[in-house]
Amino acid sequence: MSNEKEFIALLNEHQRIIHKVCNLYMDAHADREDLFQEITLQAWKAYGNFRGDAKFSTWLYRVALNTAITFFRKEKRQPDIFSTETIPDFNATDAYDPIEEQVKAMYAAIGELSKIDKAIVMLYLEDYSYNDIGEMMGITANNVAVKMNRIKTKLKESTQKYMTPA
Amino acid sequence: MELDELKYQLNQRLATDHASRSNADISALLKKKTHSVISKIKRSLIIEMVLCVLFFVAMLYVCFITNYWSIRVYFGVFTVLTVLMTLVLYYLYRRTDTLSDSDRPIKANLQTLVGLLEEFVKRYFQFTMALLPVCFMFSMILSYADPVEIPEIEKFSVKVFTARWQVMVFLGVYMIALAISVYYFTKWYLKKLYGNYLTELKQYIAELDQ
Repeated sequence: MSNEKEFIALLNEHQRIIHKVCNLYMDAHADREDLFQEITLQAWKAYGNFRGDAKFSTWLYRVALNTAITFFRKEKRQPDIFSTETIPDFNATDAYDPIEEQVKAMYAAIGELSKIDKAIVMLYLEDYSYNDIGEMMGITANNVAVKMNRIKTKLKESTQKYMTPA
Repeated sequence: MELDELKYQLNQRLATDHASRSNADISALLKKKTHSVISKIKRSLIIEMVLCVLFFVAMLYVCFITNYWSIRVYFGVFTVLTVLMTLVLYYLYRRTDTLSDSDRPIKANLQTLVGLLEEFVKRYFQFTMALLPVCFMFSMILSYADPVEIPEIEKFSVKVFTARWQVMVFLGVYMIALAISVYYFTKWYLKKLYGNYLTELKQYIAELDQ
C-alpha cells in the first residue's frame, strides 16, 4: 500500500511527462485520455522493476514512449495527424505573433513525424544527450545523431507549409 | 526557424494538461483495466485455458457415459490433447507475463513484443491445423471399426448415394474443402487480429535500424 502511495506521489510529480507523450502521440481528447490511462497502468505494472539507479523521469519516459509506440487501437477514432487548429493555444489574442505562428507550424510538423521520430524529438527537446537517447531507444549515439539531422531537415521543410505567407 | 530555437515554447506547449489529475484520480486509474496488446493476449489465453478445462470435463463425462468404444477412444484422445493444450497455453501465459513489462529500451521492447506475438500466432495456427488431420483420421478409423448407426443419416445417405464409392468421394471432397476453408479462415482471422499490428511493429524496428 505504501508502495502504491509512493508511486502515485512520484507519478503526480512527473505527470507532465505523460501529458507531453499523450499530446504528441494523440490528437483527439478521448485518445489522449485512453493513452494517459494506459501509460499510468503500464508504469504501475513495471514499477516493481524500478530500482532507482536511473532517474524516475528517465524511467517514466521509457515506459510512456514504449506504451505510446505500441499502443493498440482497434479503430482509430481520429488520425494521428496534428492540425494547427487543434494545437493548444496559450496566447490566444488577436495580435499577430510571428513566434507563436512558428511554434504552431513546428508543432504541426512534429505531429507529422513517424512514432519513432516523435520519440527522438521528445527526448531531444528534454535536453537528453545523444548517448542517453540512444540508451532509451536501444540504438547507438551515432545513429541518434544521424536520425536527428534527418529529422531537423524534415521539420524545416514541412514547417514551411504551415506558415502563412507574410 | 530551427527546432532548437523553439525548444522552450514546444516543451511548454507539449506539457499542456488537458485534465489535471490529483492523487485520487491517479489512484482510481490504477484500478482500471489495461488495453495493451499484451493484456489482450493474456485475457485471450485465460479464456482459452478456461474453455480447455470445460472441454476436458465435458469430454471426460462423455467417455464415461457412452456405450460405444469408438466414441470413448475419440473423446479420450481429445481429453489428453486438451490437457496438452492447456499446458501449452499456460506456458505461453507465463512467458507473456514475464516479458510484458514496458520499461526496456524501445527497440528491445518492440523486439520482445514482436517475438511474443509471432509465437502466439504460430502456436495458435499450428494447433488449429494439427486438429484437422487428427479429427479426420480418428473419425474415419473409428467409424469403420465401430460404426454408430443413426437412422436419420442412414435414410439420407440411401436417398442421395447409390454406391459406396460415392460416399467416399463425398467424404474426401468434404474433408479437403473443410481443411482449405479452415486454413484460409485461420490465416485471415489471425491477420485481422494481429497481422497489421505486427507489420507496423516490424516497420518501427526497421526504422530504428536505418
